[in-house]
Amino acid sequence: MRQAEDLILRDYIVSAASQINAGGGSNGDNPTNLGVSDFSLVATTLDTNNAFKFMSGIEGMDRFGTGPVRSAYFMLASTELQTDFDGLTGSGFLNQWNYPTNASALPSEYGSVFNVRILTSSEAPVARGASANGNDVYYNPVLGKQAVTHINQDSYSMNLIYRDPYYSGMLAQNATLAVKFAQAQAITQDTAIRNLLCTRLSGLGGP
Amino acid sequence: MTEYSRMAKGNFTATGTTQVINLPFLPDYVELWNYSNIKTAANNSVARAWWDSKLLDTGNNPTMIEIYNNTGAVVFDTIQTNGISTFSAGLSFQYGVVNQHGSAIGDFAINKAAAAQITTTNAHGLASGDVVIFANLAQTSTTGMQQIAGIPFVVTSTGTTTFTIPWNTNQSNYTAFNTATSTNNVGSYKQVLYPALYAPAVSIISALTLANPMVVSLTMPGNYVVGQEVAFRLPSSWGTTQLNSLPNTLIPGSPIYGYVTAVSASLTTPTITVNINSSAYTAFNSNQVFASYPGEKFPQVVPVGDINSGGWPYTGGALYPSPQFWNGQGNVLLSSINGPGIQGAFSNNTSQGFVIGAGAAAVDVSAAVTMIANTNIVYWHAYAHDIGMP
Repeated sequence: MRQAEDLILRDYIVSAASQINAGGGSNGDNPTNLGVSDFSLVATTLDTNNAFKFMSGIEGMDRFGTGPVRSAYFMLASTELQTDFDGLTGSGFLNQWNYPTNASALPSEYGSVFNVRILTSSEAPVARGASANGNDVYYNPVLGKQAVTHINQDSYSMNLIYRDPYYSGMLAQNATLAVKFAQAQAITQDTAIRNLLCTRLSGLGGP
Repeated sequence: MTEYSRMAKGNFTATGTTQVINLPFLPDYVELWNYSNIKTAANNSVARAWWDSKLLDTGNNPTMIEIYNNTGAVVFDTIQTNGISTFSAGLSFQYGVVNQHGSAIGDFAINKAAAAQITTTNAHGLASGDVVIFANLAQTSTTGMQQIAGIPFVVTSTGTTTFTIPWNTNQSNYTAFNTATSTNNVGSYKQVLYPALYAPAVSIISALTLANPMVVSLTMPGNYVVGQEVAFRLPSSWGTTQLNSLPNTLIPGSPIYGYVTAVSASLTTPTITVNINSSAYTAFNSNQVFASYPGEKFPQVVPVGDINSGGWPYTGGALYPSPQFWNGQGNVLLSSINGPGIQGAFSNNTSQGFVIGAGAAAVDVSAAVTMIANTNIVYWHAYAHDIGMP
């Protein structure tokens, strides 16, 4: 039932945050696919704007195939971009299984590039066929800690409502199942959020 | 047996031949009465119309109407296309059909002008206030108008096969574009059906009038209100980088913001006035180089806050009126289904409901008989029934 809240906050960020079109990729589109320079640019922009990073870094350990992880902002991205992230392995992308320890990695965390740690979701916003060359445009908000807030009005939070058939209709035929929540969103520091728009390097090839 | 039926009613004064009604549900039956035409009978006018989602006539979903015909007699007729229909904006961006070489509109061309005019071979079907987005505007591999591809533009319909967009393409780096002659006939546009999912929203700047105060022209309305606090993001190639929030050379670390002091009444040439003295700033440059389009970054204005400008003013009717938004359908503001809100506050603008289209009567073709006309007072009922058979 929390998904509805997430979707509303997602669209709010897409609609309200300023955008950076990726230009570091090689597909010749606008925006391009994600290149490592895009991660560098967006992190630099947020650093210059004195945004707070979400996570402190992870110190390197003596373990094969791992590397230290920088302190980082969070980027929310589509699962459809995971192939592109994998393509950046060796160029700056570090899968979360290559962290020295993934104890601090979130369940949806795919990896990191420089100062950006990437969370992926199938519900990430995509504008189909909206790029200059007619390809799908992915919205990847990169957030500093103080960028947005979510307010549960009057501490109401969310209610899961269930009424069994006896109470839902005079013929007791149908039950009622619903969620109800009272919330507000606010961008508390607009300079600490950037929406990094990108396309994909290549097609997914179907399921 | 009405456990889950939904019913709604309302009225409005028409501002044209189309009207969008937002509802908290998707109706399967709609009926409306044109009070103005009932009160004062006029030849070739609609008194009543009704529509059912399940009524199909050879694949068409027509609207039934009761009209005064060309001799003033009351007769029944239908509107076969573009009558009453439903819409559901959902939470994601949705687009109309892709219009390109070989599609229903035939070819289309974009000329070099301010504002740029698009000419289609066949009727484009757009109304003023609709929003379109272009793709693949490469006349050749090195010329064309790719610089404006990917930008949502509000259109002004200037004819059945022509419309304009608020952008100056009459500049040296733009080459006239035509899908009939472009390499491999590339080039397309499509309508953005519900461009304002949330309001207000980030907007792309088409021009800046450097003055005190400053006038900002937008490619589509951003649902700003007077009192809105805004920030600017101008990549260096667009010139006026002094507007960028940071770095602030006067007060380090403090973002540079402005307040909206006026919003244009026109939704097809949208502008806002911002209380920033930009007289001495670098000129805005939309003459971007064609070759720069991969990864090109657009100039934006972003809503960041609000002074307390209060709720939406009471103008009769509901005591606590819903916020009104432009939502990319037509050129008037629409009431949302949301409760009372503060002007300029962020608001969920996703919507569903029904549209009264501008389709004309199918039999009585002596004049273009449409359901509503400017200044008509119209009452409507909308239902979503528990059971619909079959």
